[in-house]
Amino acid sequence: MNVLRINGLSKRYGRIKAVDELDLTIEKGMAFGILGPNGSGKTTTLGMVLGITQRSGGEYEWFEGQYGQDYRRHLGALLETPNFYPYLNAVDNLGIVAHIKRVKQPRMQELLELVNLWHRRDSKFRTYSLGMKQRLAIAAAMVGDPEVLIFDEPTNGLDPQGIAEVRDTLQRIAETGKTIIMASHILDEVEKVCSHVAIIKNGRLLASGTVGAIISEDFLVEVAAEDMQALQQAFAQDARVNKAELQEGQLLLHLQEEVPPAALNEWAFSKGFTLSHLRVVKKSLETEFLEITSSDR
Amino acid sequence: MLYLLRLEWKKLNKQIAFRLFVIFYVLMLPSILLTAKRLGDLPPPLMTNEVFFIFPTVWEYLGYIGNWLCFFFFGFMAIISVTTEYSYRTMRQNIITGMSRRQYFLGKLYWILAVSLFAALYYALCGFVIGFFSTETIYWHKVWQNADYIPRYFLMCFGYMSFGLFLGLLIRKTGLALFLYISYIMFLELVLRWGVHLQLFEHRSMHFYPMNATEDLVPIPMLDMADEFISKYGFSIYLQPGEAAVATLVYSSLLLYLAYRRVVYSDL
Repeated sequence: MNVLRINGLSKRYGRIKAVDELDLTIEKGMAFGILGPNGSGKTTTLGMVLGITQRSGGEYEWFEGQYGQDYRRHLGALLETPNFYPYLNAVDNLGIVAHIKRVKQPRMQELLELVNLWHRRDSKFRTYSLGMKQRLAIAAAMVGDPEVLIFDEPTNGLDPQGIAEVRDTLQRIAETGKTIIMASHILDEVEKVCSHVAIIKNGRLLASGTVGAIISEDFLVEVAAEDMQALQQAFAQDARVNKAELQEGQLLLHLQEEVPPAALNEWAFSKGFTLSHLRVVKKSLETEFLEITSSDR
Repeated sequence: MLYLLRLEWKKLNKQIAFRLFVIFYVLMLPSILLTAKRLGDLPPPLMTNEVFFIFPTVWEYLGYIGNWLCFFFFGFMAIISVTTEYSYRTMRQNIITGMSRRQYFLGKLYWILAVSLFAALYYALCGFVIGFFSTETIYWHKVWQNADYIPRYFLMCFGYMSFGLFLGLLIRKTGLALFLYISYIMFLELVLRWGVHLQLFEHRSMHFYPMNATEDLVPIPMLDMADEFISKYGFSIYLQPGEAAVATLVYSSLLLYLAYRRVVYSDL
C-alpha cells in the first residue's frame, strides 16, 4: 500500500521556487529518508503534505485516500522544533496530543520511558534541555501508535550525547517495522535509520531509490608506484576494478568488493610494479552525498 | 463542541495570564462597586449612594464596571489565547497533530462564547446578591426591570473578545496586538467618531462604529451628559440597546469570518 504519493508538488515564495515539481511515492513499511542540504525544500515539502504550508501546485495523497482529510491523526510528526506549551509538564502536554488524536488511554509511562523522560514527567516543559525537548517531541509523535512517523532534522542542535540518544531511539522505532519518513541533511543519520532515500536540492528531486543503490558501496584503495600511467593501465584491465582514476599523484581504485590489500600488492608485483603506497580508503558518506548534490548545478 | 472546549481548557487552565485575568475579574467586579459604600452624600441627581446597589439600577452600575473589566481582561485573554499559540508554535503543532484548521478556529470561537457566558453569569450572580442585600423591599418586577442587561452584558463581552481574537489571529504578535486593541478602542475610534465623523456629518450614524456599539450595550449610567448632548445635536449620545446588539452581532460575525479565513488560508 502507498502511504504517501506526491505528484508534481510545488511551492513558490514570490520568485523563489522552494519546491519544484516534486514526485515521490512512499510505501508502507519503508524507512524513507529525504536527504538534502539546508534550504533544499525538505521542511517545506513536509509542511505541505502535513497541511500547514499552502501548496502552490501539484497534489499529494495519504493512505490512498482512505482517511480523507483526517489523515493527520494517523501520523506522528516532529517538524523542525519541538513545540509544546512551556507552562505545562510532560504528562499534560502529551495529554493534549492524546486529546487531539482522540486516544482514550495514552500509555504515558511507556512512551516517556522509551524516551527516557519518565523521571522528569512532572517538570514544566520550559525547564527541559534541548535534548529533552526533542525526545518529548518523539514521544508525542508516538502517542496513539500512529501508522507513520515523520521526523524532520531530529538531531538538529543537539550535543553528541543527545544525537546518540535520539538516533538510538529512532533505530529502535525503525526496527519495529513502522513506516518512517525522515528528513535530514546528515547522511550518516539517514544511512543508519533508513532503507530508502530521496535526495533533493533546490526543491528538485536528484535521485531516489534504496540506500544501497543511491550511495555507492565501492571498496576504495589508494595505490602509487613509479610509473603511474602504466599502473593505471594495468589496473584498468583487471575485472575486479570498476574504475581507476588518477588523483593528486595517486591512483584511486574503485573495487567491486573488499579485497585484502596484500592480495593487491601481490598482484601488482606479479605485473612488475613495486607499490610505493597502498592504503584502504574509508570514503566518507558525507563526501558521496556532496558529490551527488554538487554534480547538479 | 465539548471536545473542543475541553481541549481549550486543558491548554489554558494552567496558564498564569488566564488565571490572573479570571481572578482579577471575579474579585474586582463586586469589590469596585462595593467601594461606593464608602461614599456618603452625593451631588444631585444621585443624592445618595444607594442607587448603586438597589434593584433595578444595580444592573446599570455593576454593568458599567463590568464593561471596563471585560474590555481589559477578557479582550486581553482572547488576544493572548491565540498569540501565545503562534509564539510557542503550538497552533501549527495542533494542526500537525491532527486538528483541522476549521476545528482549531471553532475551538477558539467556542472558548470565547464560554468565557462570555461565564462573565455574564457571574455578573448576574453579583447583581442579584448585591441587589438582594441592599434593597429594602424587593419587588420582583423591579428586579427584572433591567434584567435584559444580562444578555446584553454577554454580547458585550463576546464583542470585545471577537475583536481580540480577530486582532490576535491577524497580527500574531502579543505586544503589537494588545497595543492595537487598546489604542483602537480607547483612542482611534474616538478620534474617528468625534473628530472626523461628527465634524463631517452631524448624524447619529457616528455611533455605529464596532467597538462603540459593543460599549453601548452596557453604557455609562450618568444621564447628565447624555441630556446635554441631545439638546446640542438633536440625537442621543447612545445607541438603542437593540441597535447596539444588532451592530455588535454584525461586526463580530464579520471580524470572526475574517479571522476564520486567516486561519484556513495562511501558512502556519
